[in-house]
Amino acid sequence: MNELLTTLIQEVRVWPGHRHHRARIPAEATGYRELDEPLGGGWPRGALTECLLDGVGMGELQLVLPAMRRLSRRGKRVFWINPPHIPYAPALDQEDVDLNQVLVIRTNNRGDTLWTLENCLRAPVTGLVLAWPGGLASREIRRLQLAAEAGRSVCILFRDRRQASQNSPAALRLQLTPDGYLGLNIQVLKRRGGRPGQSCTLNTARRAGLAQTEASGVVQGPWTVPRE
Amino acid sequence: MLWLYLHFPHMLLDHLRRHRQSSRPLAILSGQDPRVAQACPEARALGITAGMRLKTALALAPNLDVIQTQPGQDTQVLEAQARWLYRCAAHIALRPPDGLLAEVASLQRLYGGLPAVWQTVAQALETHQLTASMAIGHTPEAARLLARADQGECTADTARIRHRLTGLPLSQAGFDRTTTERLQRLGLTRLGEVLALPPAELARRLSPDALSHLQKIQGTRPDPVQPWHPPHVFRQEVDFLQDIEQSQGLLFPLQRVLSELEEELRWRQQDTDSLHLSLRHRQGDDSRIHLRTAGPEHRAEAFLNLARLHLERHPLSAPVTGLRVCVRRFLARDASRGQDLFGKHSHPEEAWHTLASRLQARLGASALQRLVPRADHRPERAWAAAEALGEPHQQRPAPVLPGHRPLWLLASPYPLGEVPAAWLSGPERIRSGWWDGQPVQRDYYVVQLADGPLAWVFRDLRNDWFIHGWFG
Repeated sequence: MNELLTTLIQEVRVWPGHRHHRARIPAEATGYRELDEPLGGGWPRGALTECLLDGVGMGELQLVLPAMRRLSRRGKRVFWINPPHIPYAPALDQEDVDLNQVLVIRTNNRGDTLWTLENCLRAPVTGLVLAWPGGLASREIRRLQLAAEAGRSVCILFRDRRQASQNSPAALRLQLTPDGYLGLNIQVLKRRGGRPGQSCTLNTARRAGLAQTEASGVVQGPWTVPRE
Repeated sequence: MLWLYLHFPHMLLDHLRRHRQSSRPLAILSGQDPRVAQACPEARALGITAGMRLKTALALAPNLDVIQTQPGQDTQVLEAQARWLYRCAAHIALRPPDGLLAEVASLQRLYGGLPAVWQTVAQALETHQLTASMAIGHTPEAARLLARADQGECTADTARIRHRLTGLPLSQAGFDRTTTERLQRLGLTRLGEVLALPPAELARRLSPDALSHLQKIQGTRPDPVQPWHPPHVFRQEVDFLQDIEQSQGLLFPLQRVLSELEEELRWRQQDTDSLHLSLRHRQGDDSRIHLRTAGPEHRAEAFLNLARLHLERHPLSAPVTGLRVCVRRFLARDASRGQDLFGKHSHPEEAWHTLASRLQARLGASALQRLVPRADHRPERAWAAAEALGEPHQQRPAPVLPGHRPLWLLASPYPLGEVPAAWLSGPERIRSGWWDGQPVQRDYYVVQLADGPLAWVFRDLRNDWFIHGWFG
């Protein structure tokens, strides 16, 4: 090795990057092997995760479904706080989620939402919290992050993609975008104890009960197609 | 038989003083032309005595708190005292307006002697911050007279009790005024002298009522005692000296009532899950608050937390002059619930009940929902919202649906405003509901819209297209 470098290392003036141990955050496997790797093992437990996306229907629930199924079967409660639409019971049942553990909470104002989130996060019975909190100030996210650290549950906030530029204390921030035909692209914007910028693409065709490839056999009759 | 009589010289005063934080002198007024009926020790130290006019009392103590008694109030307060006495003695009776009677002969063996019974009751009086004079007698009437004269002592000795009794002055012997005067004119001053007269002579000179009173003291005439049993409802009232305007101020008196409830429930070995709290206002209707816990509960702390949450959410509409806590529903206690032997790990169900009652107290009972699938082919009717704390729904194998269902369902179908980018599967025809007047006939498709999301769309009979769900 270069003599100069040897001197530097001996005098501990440089910091060898390859020896850096990744901070271990307890994680709940996502159920997707290709996703666990960039997330460092799965959804962080006792920390906030933010998913930033536009609208619904791009496979965002499919992403959390394996964890939901596993946690609910383990007897942990799954809270849906202010979901934008109705979580459809027959579909959850079809996906083998224990519906007795699933609770939907609707609140009237932002104060109630934050209070509910905090209480759910601190409770020992909670396994997974899915929340659609709308706009949040950085200070409020910080408070939720502290509440999440008090418990051991997985908390996923679904937020608008426009808030990607906001400074957030959440432990993990993901940006979800539809990828081509039936795919979901996940980009890690921030990860505590890890490098941001990684991304992966999941095939979420399963959510519509479709085969991995092009669907076929759609019967289209002579009826009128929807008007523009 | 031995009877223990408790005489409360100023029960109402004690009751009111327990629920207040300030130590200002206090007097209770009665009558149309207000006169002091009862005065607390602080007021008496300033020279205020019973029977004094309000003006005089206020001149002596300008910062005197005064309270006008309400009819029926003393009966309620007496019943509240009977409730705790019932825990010490099985056979008790009310002697309105200010006395309680308990049969103690049968208790001697349980407590291990009369002094122990006496001690227990005295201790209970102290815990409840009550002033009372106690006396033991062989007849209820004898015990009453001794207690009212504050001549009671802890003894079952007939001779001693009789000695005390005969020494009572006529004014304290419980006769009405005319009888007392008549006896005094005969030159009698003490009860003993009256008792010493031959019965035939007494019968000639006294009214039948006075004679029966004498015979009851001696025990020669039956004096049936109506035993009292606590009603199967918990009801506690608190009257405030000053109106309370902040809900924070309600918590202190409420805490006291709730700890009494906790004690009551502990004694009954029962729990409750619903509690009615009503706040009295000077004008208008009472505010009624119904607190519901998620599971059976008896701890004052849990009730107080719920009440606090509720009061934080709903500010007081008007100043509060009094509050009442009422519990009508009692549940047998379940031994399997609760903490383990070392009290470290609470039962998960209990933790869930605590969380659910907190959430419901703040958000309202309907804000929390569970989802239940239902056997109906119409998508909007294939699920139902159930109460979060209801019975868990029975697990059954998921019905095999002909098509895949989306995870999101729209509350009401939304018109499809664009031509889908791709048709992925379909159609699935759903035709159902002709029997209950809400028939549907729809062809469902899974489509991909132009900007990427997968939607569940249908075409109805009129060829209109709607989005009914999203494949999230």
